[in-house]
This record gives sequence, C-alpha cells and structure tokens, in this order.
Amino acid sequence: MRRVVITGCGVVTAAGTELEGFWNALMDGTCFIRPLQHFSYYDMPALLGAEVELAPEDGKGLGSDATTSRARCAQLANAAVERALSDAAMMPVCDPDRTGVIFGSTLGEEREVGDLSERWVRNGPDDFGDEFWVRCDNHRLASRIAGEHGIGGPVQFCAAACSSGNAAVAFAYDLVSSGAADVMIAGGADALTRSIYCGFERMGALSKSICRPFDRRRDGVSFGEGAGVVVLETLEHANRRNAPRIYAEIAGYGMSNDAHHITAPDPNGEGFARAMKQALHSTLAPFDEIDYISPHGTGTLYNDRSECRAIKSVFGDRARHIPVSSVKSMIGHTNGAAGAIETVVCALALTHQAVPPTANLNDPDPECDLDCVPLVGRALPIQACLNLAAGFGGFNVCLVLKRVQ
Amino acid sequence: MSASHADPDGAIVITGVSVLTPLADDVPSLLTALHARRNAMVEAPDILGAAVSRIEPFVATQYANVRGLRVYNRTMQLGICAAKLALSDAQLDPTDIPSDEFGIVAASTFGHMDTLIEYDRSLMTHGLQRTNPTLMPLAIPSAPGAVAGLSFGAKAFTLTLANGAASSLDALGLGLRFLSDARARVCVVVAAFANCRELILSAARAGALTRPQDVLVFDSRSRGTGLGEASAAIVLERAENARARDVPAKGVLRGHVSTFAPRTCDRSDALKRACEGALRCAGSVPGDIALVSAGANGIPDRDLAEAEGIHAALGKACANAAVIAIKGNLGEVVDAGGLLQVITALESLRSRTAPPIRGLERPVESNLRFVRETAPISATDALVTSMSNTGACSALVVSGGHAF
Repeated sequence: MRRVVITGCGVVTAAGTELEGFWNALMDGTCFIRPLQHFSYYDMPALLGAEVELAPEDGKGLGSDATTSRARCAQLANAAVERALSDAAMMPVCDPDRTGVIFGSTLGEEREVGDLSERWVRNGPDDFGDEFWVRCDNHRLASRIAGEHGIGGPVQFCAAACSSGNAAVAFAYDLVSSGAADVMIAGGADALTRSIYCGFERMGALSKSICRPFDRRRDGVSFGEGAGVVVLETLEHANRRNAPRIYAEIAGYGMSNDAHHITAPDPNGEGFARAMKQALHSTLAPFDEIDYISPHGTGTLYNDRSECRAIKSVFGDRARHIPVSSVKSMIGHTNGAAGAIETVVCALALTHQAVPPTANLNDPDPECDLDCVPLVGRALPIQACLNLAAGFGGFNVCLVLKRVQ
Repeated sequence: MSASHADPDGAIVITGVSVLTPLADDVPSLLTALHARRNAMVEAPDILGAAVSRIEPFVATQYANVRGLRVYNRTMQLGICAAKLALSDAQLDPTDIPSDEFGIVAASTFGHMDTLIEYDRSLMTHGLQRTNPTLMPLAIPSAPGAVAGLSFGAKAFTLTLANGAASSLDALGLGLRFLSDARARVCVVVAAFANCRELILSAARAGALTRPQDVLVFDSRSRGTGLGEASAAIVLERAENARARDVPAKGVLRGHVSTFAPRTCDRSDALKRACEGALRCAGSVPGDIALVSAGANGIPDRDLAEAEGIHAALGKACANAAVIAIKGNLGEVVDAGGLLQVITALESLRSRTAPPIRGLERPVESNLRFVRETAPISATDALVTSMSNTGACSALVVSGGHAF
C-alpha cells in the first residue's frame, strides 16, 4: 500500500472561496446562513441558506453553460477544482494518464432537470433538442473537469447522497494507494435546489431559523451550496515533484450502511459506529490518537443524537474529551459537497493545529454530551482526526486523516 | 479505476447472474435469442424513426416481493428484481448473509430521473403541499443503490455509480476492490436502464437514434443506435466464501481498469489503455483472450474508436479473439450494458460458442474477428469493453468458471 497525502485543497463556500479567508471565517464562528438572494421557490417564501458568491472567471471551462444558473453545480465544482489544482501547483497536471477525477453529488445537475421540466410544462416537447440526454447526465460533472485538464485516468461520478463527498475521497484514496493512479482529484459539489428545500420542508427537517447542531433548540437542517476538492497523490510522488505543501495523510476509511430507512438514520447510530470502527481498524490507528472529529452534524434531532451515541459507543469514556464540531452551523449543509469540504476542514485543522467551532451552540442538548466546541474555535495539538458523513439511504463513510510529520 | 485479482487464493468469483431484457428474463433464453439474431428494437410510439425497446409485460412483483417495491420507479424495480434473481441463482438468501458482510453497488446514470421529473413538475404545477413527499428521496442520483440496499438489508455498503455506459463495468471493478479489501464477503452489482419519454426524445433529437432494423453495430452502414431497456445483476463473492457454501463459480473477475478520453479523438487510445491495464491486472497476455464482448452500439464514430482501441490493445492476438456485440440485439442499454456483456461472455465461454453480431454484413475496417455466424471459442478468458458518451472507457478481464 502506498501512502496517500493531500497536497491541494479548494473550497467554494459561503464562508469564502479562498482557503485562508475560509479558515479564518470558520475559526471566528461566523454564521453565513442568511435570507437567500439568488434562489427562490414561490411556494416557500423567505428561504434561508448559505449562498456562494462566485467570481466571473469561475465559469471557465463551462462554455455557454457558465452564463446560466442551470449549470450551477458544475460551476461550483469547476471553481473548487481550479483552486485545488493551483494550490497543489498542478497547473497543468503532471502526468494526465496517471491522473483521475472522482466527483460526488447528492443532487447533481438537478437544476438542469428542473429547468427542462419547466420548459416542457410551459412549451411542450416540441421546444426540445438534445438537452435531457446531454445535460442531465451527472457524469458530466466529472468528465467536464477531466476534459478541461486533459486527464486520461479514471473519471467517475459517485452518487452516495450526502456522503458522496467522503465517498469520492475514499475511493480516490483506494486508487492512489493501490497504484491504479498517481494523482486523484476528488470532491463533491451541490447547488441549492427546489426539490431539496421542498423535500426537507415536508419532512419537517428544514430549520425555521438557523442550523444549531447539538443544541437543545435545534430544529433541522439549513442548506448551503458549495464545493470542496482535494488533490491526492502518493507521498513519494509529492516529494519527487517538490509539492509546495502536504496538508495531511489519508490513512484509511471505513464505510457502512444503515439499511434502516430511506431518509432517517438508525437511531442507535450502529451504522455510524461500524464506519468509524472500520476506519480505525483499516489504519491500525489506536483510538487514543484521534484528537478531533468532524461529524456529519446536520442539526436534525435524530442525526445529532444518533451520531453522538455512535461516537460514545466507539470511544467509550474518551468520547467526551475529543473535540467534535460541525461547520454546517456556519456554511449550511452542502449535501454531496459536505464531506469533501469537511475533508478540507480536517486538513486545515491538522495544518493549523486548531479546530473550528460549532456556531449557534448556546444550549447544549444533554443527549449530545460531547465536547462540541461551542461558538469559538480552539487551538490544540492534533495528530489525527475523523471525518464522518452520512446520506439518505443510510450510507456512512468515515475518513481518517493524519498529520504528516 | 483499477482492481485486480490474479491470485487464485484470494480470487473474487461470480456465483450468481441474472438478466431482464425484452428478449428474455433468463440467461439461457437470452443466449438462444442472441444466437437466433433476434432484435428487441421497435419504433418509439410517438417519435418517428427512433428505435427503443421495452420489457413487456413487466410485473415487478412476479420477480421480487420486497417492501416498498410498488412506490419505486421502473428502473429501481428492474434493478431490485435483477438483484433478487441473481441472489437466487447464487443460492443465497440475503437473510443468511451477515448483513454487515453484504454490500451492493448499483450502476445507474438516469435511474432517478423520471421520479425527479415527476416530483419537480408536481412542485411547479401543484405546489409544495400537494406534492407527494415520498418522491423526494427517490429523486436523487443515489436512489437506485439506496433502495436496493434497503430491500435486501445490505449493511456493508450501498452506493451508485453513474458513468453512463461504462457504469456497470466500473461497478464490477469497485465490487472487486471492496471484496479484495475484505470490506464484505458478498457484493451484488446491479445495473438497470429504463426508457423515459424525455430521454428518448432528447436522444432522437441528438441524432443518436436510428430505425429499429438499422441498429447495426460494427457495421459500416450503421447510422445510430436504439435505446434499450434492461437490467442485470451479478453476485460476487470471495472464493473461500463460495467454497464454504459449496456453490460453483460461474466465472472469476480477474482485472479491471477504467480510463478517460479527454477529447473525442482520444477514445481509441483511452480504450486501448484500459484494455492493456485490465490485462496487466489480470496477469494475462493478449493471446489468452478468446472472446471480446464489446460495448459497440451502432454510433459510427464510437464503434470505430472501440474497434481501433481493441485492436491496438490485442495486436496480433486479435486473430484469435472472437468479437461479439450484444447491443445489435438489445440497443444501447446504457448502465445495464457492461453486466449483460459480462454475462454473455461467461455463457459463451461455458458453452464454447459465441453468438453472432446481429445484422453485421459490412464490418467497419479493422483486423478484428467479428463473429458473423455462431463460432466456436477455445480459450478461457474474455475481455469486456465499454465506452460512455462522456468519454469514460472501461475494460474488464473475466475467466470462465471452469478456470477456477
């Protein structure tokens, strides 16, 4: 097995689209969940969420799509990829045939489908060309990136709902560690869409105000849009090309499926726990080496409780001493992007030796009796951390990141 | 993506297969139909000159009786039914497998789309409160894998790959890796594609579809393809697990590699790299390949690129490898294609005869040995290839069960 390290990070989130500003905003505990300016649905007035401001050049590579809101997911993905590759000093990519892309998304090009559906209802089928066939193929999220950068290795679209970002990083790790690729660009992206707001509203899982993970008053999810991307390569490859920096090592991952309910997590957190145990087992990391956990932490009643139970079941008495913080309290739940963005957060935490807070956590839920880092970030020594994600259908992925000495 | 298992002690074997197509719902009948050159394609009801196929009648509950089946869309039903049939073929009752040792990888690019369209249109026309809320979790791209996982209680993993026509070979590659890494003992790889009106219309207007009788693959007269409905599933197990259950292996997954063509003109090179990589992972040389089960679908430039890629990878050994292509019978079955190609290859290796390519009269210029009449095959390994519209290429080497 080859050692796999993160040498480039890119994020586009409401908290910033450059790493330094993003990290500083998170450490300050600033909440970016606000009334939406650029997205609306007539049947749900005054939507809240965390929107991203993209620069005009972020449409690069999308051709005419960049001028429309339809291709928002691709815009976000491309913008994060450009930043990650630039951060890794990989413009252009070094060996295109040994480089690949894995992207994940919960909703994919749903805005495209929504736009086309609206046109179909309004104008009928005669108004259509090849759009459904061409625009609604989610593989385009990954293939467009690969095409733009001349990449010839494996290029995949992985759909694992809100664990898609973590799954993309995990499978990219497999490809690099096994020798199938030398470099992988892995990430997730999602835009705000009509169906996700409506779906969560009808499930009673959409927050009426702002997301408050682990708080007694939490009332559900706040959505955000965004993308997160990491560049993975072997440690040896990174050293050989004098990569400007190594953020962290991906030491392994675990995965599990609840097989419990299409939307609700297993209330006992048994699936979360299995994913964590498998991740720790895969890395041979002693449990006491884990100094930080980035949880799924969506702010729903069920998720937070079940996740805390899982952490306690895995770490026993030590669980209460491990900082656990959810950045979804600041940038919203970015769905399929969340795992990838939080991988970047973990990489930055290892680099800065500090952890971001859980914002809006004023009145901790006694059932979530962990150290949830309320309100303000904290400096502390971190050798290794876990990044947990879960999705509809019950698929859980847990990554282990370690500091590279 | 690449994964290999040339080591016989840790081999990943195929113990169950299933097919659901307009031509047949069991493997022997499908092979009979392929040998008889039957064509599943018919003209789309309201789109002149567009070839499509549909499984009629299809009553999901005849094949599977799992909770929630009736609320799932046709693609998801097809997938669940195929998974159920493959598990039966493998003599596996999902309740007998420790649930955390059982995983599912689904291949589906458009499997959520008609539910999403229905949901979205309802939101637009009826508003939030009068829209069925249960549609939403079924309207996202991960839904095909998620519902299969729920249906069979798979707790090791359930995820969905959406790489177009390359999806199901890539899903097999992922299953191979997960089992090799001991992340599960049994993995069902399931793939399904069902037509919806929007897709047919769009593909027709993209100029991809031709008339039913003109769906000709690897033929210089070809002008397009048809959109075919199908699903298939393959049960993968670690060899020691199959041995312990005393179940025969139908085949051995040997190696898989996926690549990408960043430009249309790079496709043959990308496929060549995938084939060479899969052979390397399998510990095979081109001369070991008795059969190539190609993903060619009748779209002229794709078929040509695939022929060139296979030829470049196999070199002189092309003379010994029989090339078959089932999409001449079934049309472009998108995500289901790779699994159906693998299953056809395994059955051909078992029976030592390869089915002909339907309607092939004027082969594209190449040095490949296209099967035009039912042909005998002698060796034990097959190469399976696929290419997506978006440039993903995938190749897999599989051996017949008797090689195990």
